[in-house]
Amino acid sequence: MKIVGIVGSNAEFSYNRLLLNFIAKNLKNLVDVEVLDIDEVPMFNQSDDQTNSEPIQYLNKKIVEADGVIIATPEYNHSIPSALQSVLEWLSFKIHPLDGKPVMIVGASYDVQGSSRSQLHLRQILDAPGVNAVVMPGNEFLLGEVHQAFDEDENLKDASTVQFLESCIKKFIRFINVVTIIDSPEGMKDVSSTEDLYATGKIDTTIEGVDMEAEDWVEQAAEAVGAVEGDTYVKLDRGILTVNQLNYFLKSMPAELTYADSNNQFLYYNRMYEAEDMLASRTPAQVGNPLAKCHPERTYSGVAWVIQQLRKGKEDVVRAHVPTHGPDKFVVHSYQAIRDEEGNYLGINEYVQDIKPIIDWYLKQTGQQLTGGDVDAVSGATEKVDTVSGATAQD
Amino acid sequence: MMNLIGIVGTNSDQSTNRQLLEFMQKHFAEKANIELYEIKNLPAFNKPRDTTAPPEVQDLSDKIKEADGVIISTPEYNHSVPAILKSTLEWLSYTTQPLIDKPVMITGASYGRLGSSRAQSHLRQILDAPELKARIMPSSEFLVGLSLQAFDEDGKLADPNKVQELEEIFNEFIQFVDITKQLVKTNPNKNKSKSFSWEKN
Ligand SMILES: Cc1cc2nc3c(=O)[nH]c(=O)nc-3n(C[C@H](O)[C@H](O)[C@H](O)COP(=O)(O)O)c2cc1C
Ligand SMILES: Cc1cc2nc3c(=O)[nH]c(=O)nc-3n(C[C@H](O)[C@H](O)[C@H](O)COP(=O)(O)O)c2cc1C
Repeated sequence: MKIVGIVGSNAEFSYNRLLLNFIAKNLKNLVDVEVLDIDEVPMFNQSDDQTNSEPIQYLNKKIVEADGVIIATPEYNHSIPSALQSVLEWLSFKIHPLDGKPVMIVGASYDVQGSSRSQLHLRQILDAPGVNAVVMPGNEFLLGEVHQAFDEDENLKDASTVQFLESCIKKFIRFINVVTIIDSPEGMKDVSSTEDLYATGKIDTTIEGVDMEAEDWVEQAAEAVGAVEGDTYVKLDRGILTVNQLNYFLKSMPAELTYADSNNQFLYYNRMYEAEDMLASRTPAQVGNPLAKCHPERTYSGVAWVIQQLRKGKEDVVRAHVPTHGPDKFVVHSYQAIRDEEGNYLGINEYVQDIKPIIDWYLKQTGQQLTGGDVDAVSGATEKVDTVSGATAQD
Repeated sequence: MMNLIGIVGTNSDQSTNRQLLEFMQKHFAEKANIELYEIKNLPAFNKPRDTTAPPEVQDLSDKIKEADGVIISTPEYNHSVPAILKSTLEWLSYTTQPLIDKPVMITGASYGRLGSSRAQSHLRQILDAPELKARIMPSSEFLVGLSLQAFDEDGKLADPNKVQELEEIFNEFIQFVDITKQLVKTNPNKNKSKSFSWEKN
């Protein structure tokens, strides 16, 4: 499980940073915590949009990719520090990486109350519609009189405090799992069991007798069935190409293509680039794997749900925007059902595209513009706010 | 006549809170001198080792010390006070602490229907912290909701009921400043003499 820990202070020295470092170091058997600083983030200013600056994009990317976020907040004047406030303003202005993200709050301060007031403010802020994080209820981890809490090796001195911290983190892990399930479209239900993601079944085209997880599955399987290659002609609907021509043709497609069959086995991708240069990375050794081996376990329910939509014919295509690529791209994963003439489900064509160049081209050709410029962009936050305040006003 | 400082709680070029303070400045010109103060050029607070105030902070601090009272008009960002206003208050609390025992009136404008009520309640709690300890006027919430539509072309608050409400609160504030002066003279804030500091205690 990947967690980012955000240090809520921009000061050179911070006890809250020590606290997060302690969690990262001592509880690494439970979670993988990356501690992030906010001191490079500029002061928020609505009329000087710096959303695309490096420090903000860096935080954005890290948060989007993480399973959960821990925020460690000091207490300044009974509230959270302006530096943390500013970060949350940037992260709720043009981009919203915390939307739906599980968040746990911890805090250290000099007062015996140990940041209880600032934690309460932080909860309210994270709850605002522009931020919309999912904050773990209860379990306030408050570290009061923090100037006496650590020893010279930057370890927490008090054993019972360490124990409580550990129990909070464990609870957070469970919380993340629950939130992930709630977010899957079927609601509370974990639907991962509706699909055989380990591809234990068999369909007419399944190549038997080869280990699906072998790194050279392609070579072994090709030998087993005597697959043709190179300049051999194949007849298609409608035309004739050599295998080479077919390969070059598929590689020239303006999308990364992946074929997974109806047995949930990953059979093919149009390998144009190395894994790290792809929008959705695939490696040559992955081909042949069951889908369970291509996805992290926490996503099984979502994956199964998508396949069910296609298999049952409820949808022909399911799309998802994956926002981890920064503002210059708009990457869409489309899961397109592959069916035969009778409409039988044969598998998925997953095509991954950056559609931004296409939209830019369209706008240029037609001389049109997207609305949502400067003024509107602000009301982007506002519209959401309005809807909610409207709801609040009613009750 | 009474001298007041009106702090615009944002660094934004366009601000309905600035409009509100400008309106008050004009509308109450007979009753008080209101000097508007912009905080956008203050550096971002980062708890430096050195606790002396940077020149911009010292300037604001001097103005607050000389003034009879302070009006702070706050936008609402994410149900709270904008970072830039918080940063300003952190500087003041960390360095010169000019707000201790200073009469303060809070106003606010926001685009939403609720008109910054949540930001104002945070601001009250912040101003009550031991290093700030302002004397905040009680039971007086002045808020402008749907603030983008609230002013006419001349910058006047369009709704006469709102104007009347503001007049009542402002009149009270003038009295509150006087009463607070008496109160503070006889019961000075204990923290003031000790100059409470989180870093020293
Ligand atoms: C401007 C300012 C205001 C503070 N206000 C409070 C406060 O209201 N309550 C509190 O417990 N500590 C307060 N403190 C002390 C902090 O708890 C202390 O600086 C703590 O070390 C902050 O955590 P950090 O080390 O992670 O930055 C304040 C400190 C500063 C600089
Ligand atoms: C990051 C951000 C968060 C905002 N959050 C809120 C909010 O929680 N409630 C609200 O009414 N308006 C919100 N707004 C919209 C307005 O900025 C806000 O209403 C503000 O009070 C307007 O004051 P101004 O005209 O002085 O800038 C937000 C704006 C931004 C940029």
